[in-house]
Amino acid sequence: MTRVRVTAPTTAARPAQETREAAQESDVGQVFVRSLIRSQLRLALVVAGGFLLILGAFPLLLAMVPGLAETRIAGIPFGWLLLGGGIYPVIGLSAWLYTRTAARNEARYRDLAGDQ
Amino acid sequence: MRPATATWPVTSEGGVNPGIAIAAVAVVSVATAVIGFYGLRISRTTGDFYVASRTVRPWWNASAIGGEYLSAASFLGVAGLILLSGTDALWFPVGYTAGYLMLLLFVAAPLRRSGAYTIPDFTEARLDSRAVRKVTSLVVVLVGWLYIVPQLHGAALTIRITTGLPSWAGSVAVVIVVCLTVAAGGMRSITFVQAFQYWLKLTALAVPILFIIFMLAGNGTPELSPPAANPTNAPPAGLYQNMSLLVALLFGTLGLPHVLVRFYTNPDGQSARRTTLIVLGLLSVFYLFPTAYGLVGRMFAPGLARAGQADAMVLLLPGELVGGTAGDLLSALVVAGAFAAFLSTTSGLVVSLAGVISQDVLGGGVGGFRLAAVISAVVPLGFAFMTDSFALAGSVGLVFAFTASTVCPVLLLGIWWRGLTDAGAITGMVTGGLLCGGAMIIGAMAGAASIPAWLAQPAAWTVPTAFAVMVLVSRATAGRVPKTMARVMTRLHTPERPLATER
Repeated sequence: MTRVRVTAPTTAARPAQETREAAQESDVGQVFVRSLIRSQLRLALVVAGGFLLILGAFPLLLAMVPGLAETRIAGIPFGWLLLGGGIYPVIGLSAWLYTRTAARNEARYRDLAGDQ
Repeated sequence: MRPATATWPVTSEGGVNPGIAIAAVAVVSVATAVIGFYGLRISRTTGDFYVASRTVRPWWNASAIGGEYLSAASFLGVAGLILLSGTDALWFPVGYTAGYLMLLLFVAAPLRRSGAYTIPDFTEARLDSRAVRKVTSLVVVLVGWLYIVPQLHGAALTIRITTGLPSWAGSVAVVIVVCLTVAAGGMRSITFVQAFQYWLKLTALAVPILFIIFMLAGNGTPELSPPAANPTNAPPAGLYQNMSLLVALLFGTLGLPHVLVRFYTNPDGQSARRTTLIVLGLLSVFYLFPTAYGLVGRMFAPGLARAGQADAMVLLLPGELVGGTAGDLLSALVVAGAFAAFLSTTSGLVVSLAGVISQDVLGGGVGGFRLAAVISAVVPLGFAFMTDSFALAGSVGLVFAFTASTVCPVLLLGIWWRGLTDAGAITGMVTGGLLCGGAMIIGAMAGAASIPAWLAQPAAWTVPTAFAVMVLVSRATAGRVPKTMARVMTRLHTPERPLATER
């Protein structure tokens, strides 16, 4: 039985990657790459910021409305429902929106850069 | 309520039937080994591994990531902390899950496209520097060791509470099973083992608590104390503590060494994102259950918190509230799930640590890998014997703070900022590591109760400091930006060309 260790290629990238990078070495290519990175970073920051705002708003809401945290829904205090269950759909929605938009940014890049 | 524990031949501390608990532990250990060795026969060479990696379905892969990520802290610690601190502790499960959101937003796709297999591989390729690689390897090994220790504490606690055997037996059992499977090469098929363990952990938490909830609702049992009531006299965590914890969990997740390896099994960047999306769903479902345990414990069994072993709450709740044969069987299920948690996280960490140690210290080779695997598992065993287990979720929170202060800045800046230099990366990692590690050592020496909040939960100031040092030193050494930077950045961020067969 032959056994080998699985490691990443430490020096040269694989051939497919070489062509992918070489095609973008021109000044025009780099402009497209920079704009892709900027739009992806902006997207990630907006989604992260929006999520953190909602995350911060939850305890704020509980603190501002007296008695809300103790209001029972099906025997469970609302504060527990909100922080213990209500945040997860927000996380899922943020992640889904991000994944869709990031793929769209990449598709636009591909259209632009593919025509050179 | 359950009958007196003295009716059993061996008495365990928590009134769980020891024979059934030992059987549960044995079954999980054997199942892990069997799935590992069975998988070994399927994937034998690097080629097999890569081919297999392209056929791993996102669902399998996501289950595997979830299985590896959900550790002793998630399985036992979170529920225990919620029992003690109520809604304040809900930041733990939220933070653990939201950390994966940050991973998706900032790291998942670029890291997959980098082609790196470990974090040191990534930093070396990005900064074109062997020195950076050495420092990153050191940090990664430290993080891994620190993260294994709470797993071993969890195993010690579980064995002591449920079987009455001495604590060390639990830690030693985990280390032996992990060493055997990893060193024998069985964990090569890690995907299947980890995926199995995610679903085992979910079942082992969900079935008992749902049973308990339906039973309580069916009997119309009145609650013993309102959920807001503090079962102990311990003061609640302040705003700073919660904020700092959230920083640690949000930014710590994306630097965990065993998490990155799993992304390599995705065929491309976009599928890495899709996998992460599924992982988020799996984690969200999972964390509902520790929260439910915590809430039910607060309402119907607040006495478990006063016994001083809140971490064992998940193990004891079925016996406490159900009792009898049903209680025994449910307890056995929980014990099995807990052991799956210790085994999967520890073996994931040992595999990634052994990779780093064997490559950077022992010069590679299968023999080196085996030796490295044993070293990676035995050193934290020594740490675990020397230290005492205090709140599992809390000690894992500190490891996240350490990761967030060291690996996280170098990953984030390396992926998104063209100006990062090797000098900046090294000084930033060392600064963050010394500050956060120093706070952890002082905290461990002085005891958890007597130190100020800013030392107990250091992430809020160590993470920004590490980022600031990294940026400032990189700015000052701007001449050292590697010539390969533009090329590497292109590789990280541009989508893979679709293969001809795909269109």
